[in-house]
Amino acid sequence: MFSKVLIANRGEIALRINRACHDLGVRTVAIYSQADRDSLHVRQADEAYCVGPGPVPRSYLDIANIVSTALAAGCEAIHPGYGFLAENARFAEICADHGLVFIGPKPSVIAAMGDKATAKRVMKEAGIATTPGSGILDTPREARDAAKRIGYPVLLKATAGGGGKGMRVVQRPEDLERAYAAATAEAEASFKDGRIYMEKLILHPRHIEVQVLGDEFGTIVHLGERDCSLQKPSHQKLIEEAPAPNLALKQRNALHEMAVRACRHVGYTNAGTLEFLVSGDHVYFMEMNTRIQVEHTVTEMIYGIDLVREQIRIAAGERLGYAQADLRARGSAIECRINAEDPRNGFAPEAGTLSRVAFPGGPGIRVDTHAYGGALVPPYYDSLLAKVVAYGETREAAIARMERALRETVVEGVHTTIEACLDVLGTSQFREGRYDIGSLPALFAAAARG
Amino acid sequence: MIPEEPAGIAERVARLATFLIANDLESVRIEREHETFEVGRTAAEHAVTIPAAAPASSTPSRIERIAADRVGIFHLGRPAPHEGEVLDGDRELGYVEQLGIRNPVRSRGAGRIVAILQQDGDVVDYGRPLFELDRG
Repeated sequence: MFSKVLIANRGEIALRINRACHDLGVRTVAIYSQADRDSLHVRQADEAYCVGPGPVPRSYLDIANIVSTALAAGCEAIHPGYGFLAENARFAEICADHGLVFIGPKPSVIAAMGDKATAKRVMKEAGIATTPGSGILDTPREARDAAKRIGYPVLLKATAGGGGKGMRVVQRPEDLERAYAAATAEAEASFKDGRIYMEKLILHPRHIEVQVLGDEFGTIVHLGERDCSLQKPSHQKLIEEAPAPNLALKQRNALHEMAVRACRHVGYTNAGTLEFLVSGDHVYFMEMNTRIQVEHTVTEMIYGIDLVREQIRIAAGERLGYAQADLRARGSAIECRINAEDPRNGFAPEAGTLSRVAFPGGPGIRVDTHAYGGALVPPYYDSLLAKVVAYGETREAAIARMERALRETVVEGVHTTIEACLDVLGTSQFREGRYDIGSLPALFAAAARG
Repeated sequence: MIPEEPAGIAERVARLATFLIANDLESVRIEREHETFEVGRTAAEHAVTIPAAAPASSTPSRIERIAADRVGIFHLGRPAPHEGEVLDGDRELGYVEQLGIRNPVRSRGAGRIVAILQQDGDVVDYGRPLFELDRG
């Protein structure tokens, strides 16, 4: 096992990794920006080093400063968390070049699976169904030809993308050229990579993802699926749950089998998530995230496995020590994201000072957060303040606990998504598990009608 | 506790600036019958300056802090600078070694070295004060 690990992240996930390290007896090194100097992750790590000013490119994305910190502090490994450099193959390579273990898959696998167009090609090779689509579209003419072949409506997507950036729905041929230009420009501005590809727009799909773990000795297991369909218009998730409700056993098993097969095909190691679109009887591979996910908590609650701990153990060369048959999910778990956002203003993120903070507790409730009373919410970073997770022996019990927990939660000083989450939980559509990735506005409307 | 003020104004300023940095304060203000003294950080990222709050007869003085702009191992230059040394222009005072690359730390002009805040071989992070210079 490592003796010291650098945590290349901030916020709740930095605290989460810090806890996993300490549970394993591993010392921790935090990095922080000047805007985060009073953050909890700085206080709870064994050592902390400032790597730059508030803006992300000059701090949490400054590879030279981060790697230099790890070396100067005597770390053996770097945990990237999610976001920032977590899926940057070049960063993983640089870590290796300097004798540091990157806690994640091999750089070549990150490169292959991080590029969405390449990932789909690899999945096709593995016999996994993907949404009908194109390769990289270099010109509007190529886009026109692809759309004709695939059939409208289509979706233009950035190959380096995420978070809905560089994405455009095109319903009719006459709208394609303008959408192509807009998607390319937005992708270039967001990722410094303007390449886009096309997919058939699947109507009313569910976003269901499968959690996997693989060690260096060829053991690959899945830890079931999560339903992450409840997404804001920006395609960012708001509420996630495991297991996915109303999923036929045959389809559930097929998803799990595809995820493991795909991982075997690419020689995947460490934790990862395969995202699928599920529409009726059809299942399509969408993309793979080669890192820990924000919503990994719901999987942990029903499997009783600390996924971050497993990431560190795998990276340290340890065996998983269990096989698929040893894993059994129990009960149901739901996660609500408490963000510093104004739901009445299009979920616009807010910065400010948290004047009062109180989180829930009691049986079956878990809160992962970096928020505290008096904490500053800087304008530079993701708006996530806390993840409230509820577990129940049944889905109904988990929902009831979540409602109780959210009513106990107090966050003052900024607008939050607490009420929006409660609104969703109270709808009959959610309670019956009848929702897809386009449902959130309808659920809010139903809640408003009472 | 604020250190006793020595007679020389430059030294008084320097000691207050050191106290400010050591205690991570934004400013230190001392009010007396005939004078007010304030040492504070400016908006400039790496500088500490003193507003002209001393009595009219005193010599104006300005303390500037030179800080690391990257993470690495700090080394003093050769010949090693020393406290009290007067610099008549821009000079390399040391360097921060990062991933095998020497990144010079320069005085960026003339002044007197009031304090050397890190030792040769120390790990320094972004914004860590390295030198205090009296720009006069």
